[in-house]
Amino acid sequence: MLARVAADLYWMGRYIERIEHTARLLKYQLAGLVDSPADELALGWQVIYRTLGQSSPMAPADVDEAEAFMMADAYTLAGSLVEDHTNPDSMVTCWAMARENATQLRPQLPLEVWTTLNRGFLWIRDCDFPAAWKEGPAALVSEGIDRLRLLAGVVEATMSRDDAWRFLQLGRFVERFQHQVNLLCTWDQLGAPAGAHPSLSWSDLLRVCGAFELYCRRHGMTAERDAVLEFLIRDPEVPRSLRFALQRIEQMTVGIDPLGSRHPIAAPRRVALRLAATLEAASGIVPNGERAEPVGNRFTGDLFGQLASDGRRLHDLLMAEYVDYAVSEGLPS
Amino acid sequence: MTVVTTGTPTDPAMGNPGFETGDGGAGGNGTVVAGSGAFADYALDPRFYDELFRGDGQPRDACQRLSAALDRFPAEELVKLQEGVYRRFLHEGITFTVLGADEVSEHIIPIDCVPRLITAAEWRHIESGLKQRLTAINLFLRDIYNEGRSLRDGVVPPDLVLGCPQYRVEMRGVKVPHDIYVAVGGTDIVRTDTGFAVLEDNVRVPSGVSYMLACRAATKRSVPGLYREHGVREVEGYPRLLYSTLASLSSSTTRPRVAILTPGRYNSAYYEHAFLAGEMGVDLVEGRDLVVHNATLYARMASGLRRVDVLYRRIDDDFVDPVTFRRDSVLGAPGLFHAYRAGNVVLANAPGTGVADDKAVYAYLPRIIRYFLNEEPILANVDTHLCREPEGLAFTLDNLRDLVVKEVGGSGGYGMLVGPHSTAGEREEFASRLRDNPTNYISQPVLPLSRAGCFVDGSLQPRHVDLRPFTLHGEDGQNVVPGGLCRVALRKGSLVVNSSQGGGCKDLWVLRS
Repeated sequence: MLARVAADLYWMGRYIERIEHTARLLKYQLAGLVDSPADELALGWQVIYRTLGQSSPMAPADVDEAEAFMMADAYTLAGSLVEDHTNPDSMVTCWAMARENATQLRPQLPLEVWTTLNRGFLWIRDCDFPAAWKEGPAALVSEGIDRLRLLAGVVEATMSRDDAWRFLQLGRFVERFQHQVNLLCTWDQLGAPAGAHPSLSWSDLLRVCGAFELYCRRHGMTAERDAVLEFLIRDPEVPRSLRFALQRIEQMTVGIDPLGSRHPIAAPRRVALRLAATLEAASGIVPNGERAEPVGNRFTGDLFGQLASDGRRLHDLLMAEYVDYAVSEGLPS
Repeated sequence: MTVVTTGTPTDPAMGNPGFETGDGGAGGNGTVVAGSGAFADYALDPRFYDELFRGDGQPRDACQRLSAALDRFPAEELVKLQEGVYRRFLHEGITFTVLGADEVSEHIIPIDCVPRLITAAEWRHIESGLKQRLTAINLFLRDIYNEGRSLRDGVVPPDLVLGCPQYRVEMRGVKVPHDIYVAVGGTDIVRTDTGFAVLEDNVRVPSGVSYMLACRAATKRSVPGLYREHGVREVEGYPRLLYSTLASLSSSTTRPRVAILTPGRYNSAYYEHAFLAGEMGVDLVEGRDLVVHNATLYARMASGLRRVDVLYRRIDDDFVDPVTFRRDSVLGAPGLFHAYRAGNVVLANAPGTGVADDKAVYAYLPRIIRYFLNEEPILANVDTHLCREPEGLAFTLDNLRDLVVKEVGGSGGYGMLVGPHSTAGEREEFASRLRDNPTNYISQPVLPLSRAGCFVDGSLQPRHVDLRPFTLHGEDGQNVVPGGLCRVALRKGSLVVNSSQGGGCKDLWVLRS
């Protein structure tokens, strides 16, 4: 696989995943527009924007973050994340970027994947956001999610499990890992103690992550901070857990073209394994698999900072090893 | 990026039995007449050969079934068919890119669902003519870059060849695998009352084959019954033939590694480059993906560098290698021509083939065929006046109102004057250009291009068409794919078929018998 095409696949995977993150957060938030109090809604917008690394599009410079979201209206805040072409992380921009990447690598993609992606792009490009907002904004986001799921299904059903698949999956799971770290960290930072107002519910975090039902089956309906965080960090069967993403990243790097003149799996894989070990250690799991007694707060801001930093390093290493390597390193022996 | 859409897609009505069966016309019962029924707006013009109807308004023998089916087909269903094709092209991204001043836009080439028919006998004539022509062109190119016998013998004026902007002095003495300079040719053919004639030999980077295949897929979906009944020859094997042609040029003892070199995403033919790479299972590379090391070409893969044996380059000579050709090119690979000269990579087509499709050299093709093959040309040339010759210039200036004047290196319908459609001011301005630089121009009579039935504005109407078949030349000989890109001048009365000038395309059915 061409290095440039590998990068395009990787980025295509990242953009598709990014759209889904945004859509999931928006779906949760827009559902609350019907009956949530204004301060809770503002807190919800703050979580979304901070998770995505953005500030309020309407915030005056001298207003603090929380107040900025109290002042903003939902139409503008949602519109910025859905249809704003000038926002590099909006859904329409990410869809256009994913399509642009796909265009660069069309020979590697089954026609069905290209067509489904293109139809999604045409849908959101031609979407009349003001009209959709009037009819019910949640339906718009739900349709976006449906189209993403259709795309995921078409990818799953039609793509060979070759390097094209691996780089696409690498992009998806690196993006997912980074985003989930941001989300957990933000939720933990902005969440107030139980009973305070406004507050963030840990069960809502599970819902945003599509993990509420499984959590209830495993742990019952009491959603408390440590249990939820541990569940979303290290449960290997939760698709949006950090451990799930790291396992996929490690698997993908192992499989990439072992017959190539170089086999640069070592560095990215090492970081993925180290990250997995960090998660285990934070959960009080010692190397022999037994649980040691945790000391104090196991999931601190320092841990999330370290995970975020290592996630970025993982991305840099993947680009350096597979895309931007020196010519002298790539010559056949 | 803007995807320009020009219609409102509605549900397609695929497989309408009225259009599929076409049984009423078989055998020629004489019920379909140009100018009646569905053909009410179909006005025959004795100046133009009509592909569907004879001069008396009755369908041609091979077209009776088609015309009868069209006659019965409700116009609203045909509208739905056209819209269905449009929508499919939109969703599948079968587009060409246009670079504007401020934006890049994607356009869908208009497809007309009514096929054009060519009989088996007509195709045999075209096929043999194309093979003859490409054989002569390859011999001519070998000669002008080696011995130069044809130049010494006065077959073609040496200054015309050696002064041609497409002549590449760097190619002199280069050993070209199997002496095949042109592996892929796309020849523009027109039909007039006197028969078929070659309008242009495109032997640099001919494009359009993906639209040939897209048109075929569209008509097979839209009118499957009619297609089946007509016994149409297949064109779908083109990518396989192209791959085997390219692979045959390599001296590699193992399976040759073929790649397509594209200028990139914003080239107007990018869809075609991507389509062919996908169909052949080869890499679609850009200049930035290529590295030359020790006179060997490598592609930069995720797992290291991998050698490339054959490069089907879809960029012009100038941009292939900034070390040898244009220094400001970022589309090619530095050192690529060095690797080519060393015999470590095959370039298809070879650099310098543009001499053979220069519009002035074109005028000498009949002499080239006679000289190298000792045969009479099977396909005629169009009368061409060379403005580089005093009598040609004088004739052109005296008859500007009646001629088409073209730049010798021009393409895409740009830089030309269509005399009958020009204003006095335009003719005056063009005359000035001709006097200033006569060697840059040729002139030809305005050709009465044949017309084929097209579905336009809700009714069947005749429109001017041409034809671009594709010829492949590999180690084992030549293959002419039985079909081609049939371009249509969709504007009423227009003779310009280029997609950049309002043209569309339609499927060409070459009949088995």
